[in-house]
This record gives sequence, structure tokens and C-alpha cells, in this order.
Amino acid sequence: MALTLTCPVCGKRNGYEFRYGGEEKGPRPDEADLTPQAWCEYVHMNKCVAGIQKEWWCHKDGCGVWFTTHRNTTCNLEVDTPEAQS
Amino acid sequence: MLRKSKRLWGDQAALKSSYDAVIIGGGLHGLAAAYFLARDHGIKNVAVIEKRFLGFGGSGRNTAIVRANQRTQQNVPLYKEALELWPILTKELDYNLMFFNCGNLNLMHSEAAMNTARMNVATAQFHGVESHLIDAKQCKELVPALNISKDITYPIFGAMYHPPGGILRHDAIVWGLAKGAAKHGVHLHQQTEVTGIGVENGKIVSVETDKGRIKTPRVLNAAGGYSAALSYQMLGIKLPISVLTIQAMVTQPLKPILDHVVSSGTYHAYANQTLKGEIATGAHMDAWPNYTTQTTAYYIKHQAEALSEMLPCLRGVKFMRHWGGLADMTPDMAPIMDGNNLIEGYYMDCGWGYFGFKSCAATGKYMAQFISSGNCPEMLKPFNLSRFEQNRLMGETAALVNYTPDN
Repeated sequence: MALTLTCPVCGKRNGYEFRYGGEEKGPRPDEADLTPQAWCEYVHMNKCVAGIQKEWWCHKDGCGVWFTTHRNTTCNLEVDTPEAQS
Repeated sequence: MLRKSKRLWGDQAALKSSYDAVIIGGGLHGLAAAYFLARDHGIKNVAVIEKRFLGFGGSGRNTAIVRANQRTQQNVPLYKEALELWPILTKELDYNLMFFNCGNLNLMHSEAAMNTARMNVATAQFHGVESHLIDAKQCKELVPALNISKDITYPIFGAMYHPPGGILRHDAIVWGLAKGAAKHGVHLHQQTEVTGIGVENGKIVSVETDKGRIKTPRVLNAAGGYSAALSYQMLGIKLPISVLTIQAMVTQPLKPILDHVVSSGTYHAYANQTLKGEIATGAHMDAWPNYTTQTTAYYIKHQAEALSEMLPCLRGVKFMRHWGGLADMTPDMAPIMDGNNLIEGYYMDCGWGYFGFKSCAATGKYMAQFISSGNCPEMLKPFNLSRFEQNRLMGETAALVNYTPDN
């Protein structure tokens, strides 16, 4: 479906230029004392929010930058001020 | 309403204040589980809770293809059983499911793909599923409309031919199972939304809906595309699922030209001719998770390009309708069927991605066994949720597992 994303370098571009990089899950867990559960949580598990979520994108067919943005998964629109709307 | 005929599943019963089992989701998996619970296990006091109408989700949005030529030996027996159940269910439900076992042709476009197909065929044959490896010339003999010339983007090297597969009318199986479940006493509550799941001391006690509270010791999450969000929101259980839109479309009706299901992983396209004559065709998933079922010109172009190369006689044919549905994808393309462990009485049947349709009958049968006894049947044990923690992902994709949402 149609999607426009704002690349921090190139500005608003067609969503098909980007690669989705998953939900924002915080920093990669420290490898010391890492349990399989914690690793699985970080690698595989998703909240699958029906609403606004913070997520990673890469401008694959453009400048190649990785960035986070907020998007409403129920209407597929980027959101500028997630705090105000969530 | 001038309509005199009654609903197949009778009038909607009033929501009772308690049920022996509550099934969330009035799609094929929920209905099949309810049907088998009531028919085989004596648990007839069952409610199926559906937010919209029966078959609104993936059950009515798939391309109606059924087959049992999956890749791993844990998966194949389940789909084989489903394939064998269609003719039996047609009789049992006294409803024409329009099962047409025309056979599936999975096209291969490289030597590497042919090798993968060789292994798939061996797995199928080991499990007693008919499946053959055929070359390009044999493909052409089976489907004369196929373009086997070398001057297309991905020339056809051969195919995996799976004669017992085919197509099944997707609405018919929804209505048939609904009718069968209702006949055995199951209550089907449409336009009823689950708003919460009550847990006390690690046990399921109730389900909250917008029509009232239901006391129940057992809940099955069979909400398809919405199952992962529901699981996290209501129970705090995260699942390794990404929800992606998958688009499909049909062309204008044509005279019979295609009497097999033709699919190609490389072109990301699959097509079959419906009994009405339309070419029903589906594409790859959209590449980012979302809950819309919006469609895009991008995939119309994509399908037109793929089909006009594989089946050049379709050039110039018009698409009539185009729709989208949700696929709950897991990293290993295999479902998650688990339960009664994290929370007593909570069962899940989700993560089916785009395999939910072809597996629904067999899964319902085994989930009903699981829910009635509390013990996981052997058939479903490989599909537990803990396989992700143990890093024992199933190899349903021939390539390495990679961490994108759409693998």
C-alpha cells in the first residue's frame, strides 16, 4: 500500500525505496550474562501494535541511512508528534 | 429484509454469561476448532467471538489454493491430512466445498531451485504425498499456455508437480464449518469484540467483550492477523510475528485456459482459474507491517508483468477486482500452536502467515484435541513457541532465515 517516509537526508520519499528494519526495541542486549530468553525477546518478539509505533527504516534505494520514525500501523501514515496522538 | 431463507447457522443466540470454551476469531481456524470440539470432544458449550462477520479476515481473502507440498517433515503431515479432509468434510457438513484437485505446479527458475524442489519432492514422497519433479517440456504439456522460452526474465527450468492439491471455495468452507459448528450447539457471536482476557492466579477465568463478560476456563486465540496484537495487549505475551498485507486480484472471466494452479516463487506470483473463469492471482507481501488492507497500483503492475511473462496469453486481459488481507508472518514461516503453559487454559493458534487457509481443517481437529485434554497432541508439538528461544527454527524457507518481516 502507499507509504511516504521522511528520510533525514533526502526528505519525503516513496515507501518502496525503504527497507523496514523492525520495531524499535532499545539497545542490543549486553552479551555478558545474556540468556536465550533475552536474546529471543530482542531478536524475534514483536508487540505488533495496532496504532503508533516507533520503528527502524533504511533508505535502501537512496542514501542508505538508518533512522527511526513513528508510524500509525492502522492507517499507514508517518506521525510527527507521537506523544500528542498516542 | 425480504429474504425468507434463514442463515445457515441459525439466528444469533444471546451471549451467555459462561461458556466451557471461548474462541476468539470467527475465521476458519476458530470455526474448525469449535466444530471439532463440539463434534468429537463433547465440549458443546462453546462461543466463537467475531469482531466483524464470519470469514471477514484471511478466510475470505486468500486465493483458495490448497496443497501439501511444504518443505519440512513436521509440516507436511498436517497439510496432507487437511487435503484428505476436504472430501470428507464436504459430506459431513452437507455443504459443497467445491474442492477441485486440479494439481499444483510450482515453477522453478534456476538449477538451485530445481535442487530445492528435489528435496521437497523427496520429503513429500517420504510422507506419502504425491509430488513429482518435472522438466520445462513436461510443464508445457500440462499447461500449454505456459511460456517456456528462454527470453523471459526468469526462464522456466522445471516444476514441482503436486497432483492432489488444488482449489477449494474459501467462503464455502467458512459457511460449511459455521453451519456444522452451530448444528452441534456452538454459539457464533458476530459483531462482538473481545476487549480483554481475565487471568487469575495464572489461570484463564473470563473474556471481556463489548457485549458483556463471559466466564470461561479456556480461551483459544485464533484471531489470525490480529492474534499477535491481541496477545500482547491483553496478556502481555509477545509473539515472533510481523503482520503484513498481502494483495490478490482477479481478472475478467475467460474461457478455460488454466486447469492447474501455477505458482512461481521467483516471480512472486501464483495463479489459478476459478470456476467462474477469472484468473485469481496473488502477489508477494507488502514489505512493512500494518493493519490496513489497502491495495496499490504497485502490485497490479507487478502481477501484470509476472503473468504476462509466464502466461503470455493473458496480455491485455483486465483486472476486475483487487483486495488485500493480513498475513501474520513468523521468522521460519511455520505457525505457532501452543498453550496451557504460560497461562493455564490459554491456547494459541497463530502465526500462520499465508498458510492458514490450506491447514484449517486439520489444525482445527488437533487444536480441539489439545483444548479438550489440555495436552498437546504429537502432531502439534513441533510448533511450540519455545522453539524460537531454543533457536530451533523450522526450515520452511529453503534459504537462510533472515530477520526481515517478510521472509
